[in-house]
Amino acid sequence: MNTAATTPTDEHADNHDHEHHDPRLAHHFDSHQQQFDTGKLGIWLFLVTEVLFFSGLFGFYAVYRSLHPEVFLYASQFLDTVLGATNTIVLLFSSLTMAWGVRCAQLGQTRGLLTCLVITLACAAIFLGVKSFEYTEKAHHGLLWAGMYQSPEHHEAAAVPVAAGAVESGDHGASHADDHGAAHADDHSDDALFEKTKHTLSYMTTALWAVILLTGIGLAALFKNPNKKTMAAVLGCVLISAIGLQMGAYASIAYHHFGHAAEPTAQEIEMAKTAPEEYAKQKEKIPEPKLAGTFFSVYFCMTGLHAIHIIGGMVAISWLIVRTVHGAFTTYYFGAVDFIGLYWHLVDLIWIYLFPLLYLIN
Amino acid sequence: MATVVDSSNPKSNYPIQYRELNYLNCSSGWKSWLFTLDHKRIGIMYLIGVTASFFLGGLFAVLLRTELLSPAKILMGPDSYNQMFTLHGAIMTFLVIIPGVPAAIGNIILPVMLGAKDVAFPRLNLGSFFLWMFGASFFLLALVTGGLDTGWTFYTPYSVTTNTAVITALLGVFVLGFSSIFTGLNFIVTIHTMRPPGMTWFKMPLFLWALYATALIQILATPVLGITGLLLVVERAFHIGIFDPALGGDPVLFQHFFWFYSHPAVYVMILPAMGVVSEVIAVHSRKHIFGYRFIAYSSIAIAIFGFLVWGHHMFVSGQSKVVAVIFSAITFSVSIPSAIKVFNWLTTMYKGSIRFTTAMCYALSFMFIFAIGGLTGLFLATLATDVHLHDTYFVVAHFHYVMMGSSLMGLFAAIHHWWPKISGKMINEFWGRIGCLGVFLGFNLTFFPQFILGTRGMPRRYYTYLPEFQGLHILSTMGAYLLGLSSALMAIVLIYSVYRGKKAPANPWGGASLEWQCSSPPPHNNFDHPPLAGDPYVMESVVYNEEIGGFVPAECQGDNNGSGTAAGEKEV
Repeated sequence: MNTAATTPTDEHADNHDHEHHDPRLAHHFDSHQQQFDTGKLGIWLFLVTEVLFFSGLFGFYAVYRSLHPEVFLYASQFLDTVLGATNTIVLLFSSLTMAWGVRCAQLGQTRGLLTCLVITLACAAIFLGVKSFEYTEKAHHGLLWAGMYQSPEHHEAAAVPVAAGAVESGDHGASHADDHGAAHADDHSDDALFEKTKHTLSYMTTALWAVILLTGIGLAALFKNPNKKTMAAVLGCVLISAIGLQMGAYASIAYHHFGHAAEPTAQEIEMAKTAPEEYAKQKEKIPEPKLAGTFFSVYFCMTGLHAIHIIGGMVAISWLIVRTVHGAFTTYYFGAVDFIGLYWHLVDLIWIYLFPLLYLIN
Repeated sequence: MATVVDSSNPKSNYPIQYRELNYLNCSSGWKSWLFTLDHKRIGIMYLIGVTASFFLGGLFAVLLRTELLSPAKILMGPDSYNQMFTLHGAIMTFLVIIPGVPAAIGNIILPVMLGAKDVAFPRLNLGSFFLWMFGASFFLLALVTGGLDTGWTFYTPYSVTTNTAVITALLGVFVLGFSSIFTGLNFIVTIHTMRPPGMTWFKMPLFLWALYATALIQILATPVLGITGLLLVVERAFHIGIFDPALGGDPVLFQHFFWFYSHPAVYVMILPAMGVVSEVIAVHSRKHIFGYRFIAYSSIAIAIFGFLVWGHHMFVSGQSKVVAVIFSAITFSVSIPSAIKVFNWLTTMYKGSIRFTTAMCYALSFMFIFAIGGLTGLFLATLATDVHLHDTYFVVAHFHYVMMGSSLMGLFAAIHHWWPKISGKMINEFWGRIGCLGVFLGFNLTFFPQFILGTRGMPRRYYTYLPEFQGLHILSTMGAYLLGLSSALMAIVLIYSVYRGKKAPANPWGGASLEWQCSSPPPHNNFDHPPLAGDPYVMESVVYNEEIGGFVPAECQGDNNGSGTAAGEKEV
């Protein structure tokens, strides 16, 4: 941290305090520097607890992957690498804008800070939009946690003709997306999936509106004079989140609809001609192991908890946006932006681990 | 805020404008308490909550012991018995001993000891207390909606299949965990960033070292309990197959997760009590603490060892022999830092001018009980004897000696030691000591017979027993009654002092750490300016002043007005 003085979350003048005149310095601190250092240590310790909180789930993953590696090998093919990678890029980009926002706050560039925060919030919403499509699609195919898991085998037995072998795959060709079960073979199934996704989206959007609106109102009540500016900022945040969600989900639907019906690539055709045995081997389906649902338990627990953290981050970023609109941050008081930025990087970092651990097995 | 009402002493004859202002009477009304950001008021609210939970858990204990007067049914059937010991354990662990010393006493004393105006994050501190109340209400909810019969450990697979309110209780544990995490976080940050000029790490009072070590454990272990509880909730609600063997899950994995938190949590319970004893022994022996650095480092060592021994709860749960041997060896090594502390306390007392105040009596009881509790732990750490003693009353007696005996003795010592500071009143030392004697005798009478019962094969958690165990069971129950009555006596003595007690001087015991420089009770902001901190154990720096009835700084002796550095101290 190169800029010297700053401070954390305690901006509201403490009602017990009579002595100092700077409302940005809480009464029990001597200096802005002390206040900033305190907040910084606090947020780092909080991040440590977050890491440990997730470590239980990583332990869960490690134990079951070492006990049943075949389950992970088999079930991971149902996750869509392209969607996962897109989400990774979206989150990485949001981390960039967040870091940029912190820099803007340090330099006192309010407009720059606002832009960065808005982009970060939108990226978070896009991430959730893609995730909501993925969840819906898993649920649609019965690929749920152990207690609700339905084997995809029976879908295929009914719907997939013999020829489908060519597109059925665990293949990682550059242009060829990972495919799943019977989805493409049955157009009705696709339409139904589309409908379901819309349902999920509407639920999610409503929930998001409710959460952010309630939080916004609650926070507005904390401000000395809740005014139009606050309400406008809160509504803006909700709008950005809703648009982001829709964008993420519809883009995934579009990709799912058009992207996965790809013909076998030239490389594959080549391979099928030159080395038919190898090709057949590569195309050979991995038999479904027992306990395949365990993978989806791990998947839903880990990504679900991560998604909850994303939502928490969105609420926090919305709060920052409201405060930025009010001009709360200055060159010596930007702690809150810095600390929420750190939290956001951690959420991003956890996804960076989740993506290869869940999507890139094989 | 503006109106001045002396809530600490409604019988006072002084006109309002002449009363001194302290944190208790600087504002009034329930809102000024419930939404206060003052660490002292938050600590008082914790203390009230902990005390209420203690008597609720204690009531369960007395009912359980009454049931065990005879092998036949007296009060309750086997199912109610299961639910009652579960709630006794859960309430006592999560609502009493874990928050007891750190959250209640620590909150009141830590910032004053540091010469700070408040903890680093006052709002978060209040948030922790709200979380505590929220978590506690989940426990009450579990109590009224079908009870809980899994034992406080929630072992799978039973906790996945039983019909009782496991989810409610687990959510309570989850919420309480976060309360504990935020308290720990607050303490660590406060100790790091808000020490006054002159207080280096090795000039901190040992109580702060103990709280620091405790907070480390709270931060590093509790999140794991949080996620474990959450996974068990999800397992019960959605059947994800992580702990449920019917779905391919591993029930022993739950035990690993659970004890990874819950063993360190045992040290969350004992370490602050050890910190209290370090203070009390030194102050009431009027002697510099012996082996300061060793005690400080041993707190940290215990905190670190605490993370490496969880497997000793699982010697018979099917872990590999190599692992069991390693866990056994590390468990033995925990006794080294613990013994260092005990020897240093003993050496501190050697040639000191010991005063048997109530606080000192509790501290001495702590040492006696902790020695027995600690040494019987070694029997359980030994693999071969553990197979014999596992799940018997020996274990029950052992962990009550450590968790109940030692931790609560530490809490009681802390309450009596700092009571003048907290309430501004002196207790009646005679009745205080009688209470202490009763607690000490009652405790030993309750739990010592259980060691014998355990070695003879009486299994824990049983509603009934073989007739030959009845004599010892009756003895144990009598002890429980004595313990209950003595605790009630202690509470009465304390509450009586609030209304009728003599006014406490700033420094009644002659302590040299910063909290004794502040008036009793402290003003709202503790110190107007950060005080200069010296060695907290140089007892010669304060001398007794007849006129005030307490100790004053040696350089101020002779001045007509007492404590020179005290903030706002005015004798009325």
